[in-house]
Amino acid sequence: MKKFIAILLVALLALTTVFAQGAKETATTAAPATAKTEITWWSFPTFGLDGATEAELIKAFEAANPNITVKLEMIDFTSGPNKLTAAIEGGAAPDVLFDAPGRIIEYGRNGKLVALDGMFTSELKADATSAALLNACSDGTTYWMYPQSSSPFCMSINKEMWEKAGAWQYVNTEGARTWTTENFAKAMEALGKAGYVGLNVYCGGQGGDQGTRALVSNLYSATIANADYTKYTMDSPEGIKGLKLLLDLYKKGAIDAGMGIVAGDELQLYQQEMIASSICWGTSNAKNYKSDAYTQFVIPFPSEDGKPALEYLVNGFCVFNNKNDAKAEAAKKLIAFICDDPTYGPKAVKATGAFPIRASFGNLYEGDAQYELLAEFTKYYGGYYNTMKGFAAMRTQWWNMLQFIFSGDKSVETAVADYAKASNANL
Amino acid sequence: MENEKALKKNKMGMSHAIQRQQNIVSYIFLLPFALFFIGFVLIPMGMGIVTSFFNYKMNAFEFNGLTNYIRLFKDPVFLKSLRNTFVIVITSVPLVAIFSLWVASVIFDKNSTFTSVFRGVFYLPVVMGTVPVVVVWKWIFNAYFGILNYLFKALNLMPQNLRFEWLGNKNTAIWCILAILFTTSIGQPIVLYIAALGNVDKSITEAAEVDGASKLRTFWMVKWPSIMPTTLYIIVITTINSFQCFALIQLLTSGGPSYSTSTVMYYLYEQAFTYYDYGYANSMGVILAIVIAVFSALQFRVMKTDN
Repeated sequence: MKKFIAILLVALLALTTVFAQGAKETATTAAPATAKTEITWWSFPTFGLDGATEAELIKAFEAANPNITVKLEMIDFTSGPNKLTAAIEGGAAPDVLFDAPGRIIEYGRNGKLVALDGMFTSELKADATSAALLNACSDGTTYWMYPQSSSPFCMSINKEMWEKAGAWQYVNTEGARTWTTENFAKAMEALGKAGYVGLNVYCGGQGGDQGTRALVSNLYSATIANADYTKYTMDSPEGIKGLKLLLDLYKKGAIDAGMGIVAGDELQLYQQEMIASSICWGTSNAKNYKSDAYTQFVIPFPSEDGKPALEYLVNGFCVFNNKNDAKAEAAKKLIAFICDDPTYGPKAVKATGAFPIRASFGNLYEGDAQYELLAEFTKYYGGYYNTMKGFAAMRTQWWNMLQFIFSGDKSVETAVADYAKASNANL
Repeated sequence: MENEKALKKNKMGMSHAIQRQQNIVSYIFLLPFALFFIGFVLIPMGMGIVTSFFNYKMNAFEFNGLTNYIRLFKDPVFLKSLRNTFVIVITSVPLVAIFSLWVASVIFDKNSTFTSVFRGVFYLPVVMGTVPVVVVWKWIFNAYFGILNYLFKALNLMPQNLRFEWLGNKNTAIWCILAILFTTSIGQPIVLYIAALGNVDKSITEAAEVDGASKLRTFWMVKWPSIMPTTLYIIVITTINSFQCFALIQLLTSGGPSYSTSTVMYYLYEQAFTYYDYGYANSMGVILAIVIAVFSALQFRVMKTDN
């Protein structure tokens, strides 16, 4: 009897592990048969860490679309990309993703997404603040991402530190505060002589690498990629000149090269006043790394002609092709609601701290001097190469190239040539 | 006589049946775990081996034979990663084993409170988890405010205005990783050695000491053979863990600077999750598995006992 009970218990235990999975699968396949369509939305913490904005948007959307249920999952920037890769390859991708073009266009190019061409209506195109922002949502032939907001990347300097070092004289405090490479070099040298670290060219990993790319490319108007985005081009004379300038400043002790740190560390150093400037500033970092101990003065990247080509963030949505038309349509409705609704659209944009793609949303930050300045910066948006093939691989090559240069392992010319060769091999 | 034969035969028949029943019950008890092992270990392992012979990317899945393996041995980053992996294993395994044995032999026969305190101290990094340990060590190694630079400067071993980047220097980064790996690896071996040394027959060690054997000779001739199975286990497990060192590198150095801390595990991850080259990544996994298997087999052969 005891033996029989033991065998029965073990068999039940074994069966539950099988049928638990079976029940989940049954629930998934049964969904289309019910009236409600359930979709999953994975969101990077661009609205905020707690998911409160997402929850509010979902509530409003579900109220307006009672036949659609949205399940939210928050993912972080560290483990989120790997989680997405595993989910995609495991056939468990979400229906909706809120992210940026870099990854989204790569997924689209690899056939994982639903094309959103039908959502790019003439109305949207007429209402967009910039055609470049819409182009950032396409791989050149198909629109894979529906844009919501954008925000420029820039620099921030410690005003009091710069004043003490005599570097403040080189800063343009008027208008869009554009300034020249010549003044940048003088300012860094002044800071170095005064015992401060002008800035840190962090290159310990991929995090925040848009800051180092923007700095290097703007110094002598080099470009990360050519005009038709078919080749990575930092191995130009201008790119080499920019890198040599930074290496020279590093050797003089005016700036640092953080081969063991990434943007998050650099921002902390800046917030703690251990370095005089940050090259990874933007609307969300201004919030997260705010300091009341000194004045964080925002400026664009320096350029030879005083006209920078700024990198920028574009936030948007994509729809994964999970072979379910009902879910795909429901997902499109969700992203149209979040991005285009006259009430919730502006609210969602404001929650990102960025600027709306739609001009009709108006000035969401009226009276905020900082945002008015950053709005000026949007006029200096450069090309958007983040949707190029092999972008992810190029990023890895980029920070490795900087490490080779600043460690002295390779000359600038060799390091850049190797970087360009390896990056272009992935095209 | 014939009755005895019949009884024996009956007895053998009964024990066969009982044995068979017991076997069935045992397998049924094992079934859930066997299913888990097959589903989450063996099948993925098999899939990894099979797909290592494919050009397997996000948008491609074509058989390409040994192309991935040939590419591996022409890839300078893989070769550097393999070299770094061997450096980590060859350095950490003996150090961990020797240090753990030394600590255990010093504290195992002290009073229980003393032993417990030290056991807890050494085991703490293991239970804390990798992320908090990495955060603390990152602060220690920080070029701007790290305590290591502070100490060196206080002892005049470093120029006062130098901001030495321990994790950003290709000559020191791997040793920093090894130092952290060491602190997280010694906890379990110490606990195991304390238990093993505590189980050594005291009468034999006392007899050896009475016969005039020195402490060292007693250790070598009596205790060391007794704890050999534990030593074998520790060496094999530490070897496997060192070969698979990944989290420290991902969180601290991303394989840099200049690939000086890139290991096979980290490069495998980079190929899979940055380049989406799953087939190539799987081929690295297969090579790593073969290397670990060979190392483990050699260790068993060299250190096997009759126990």
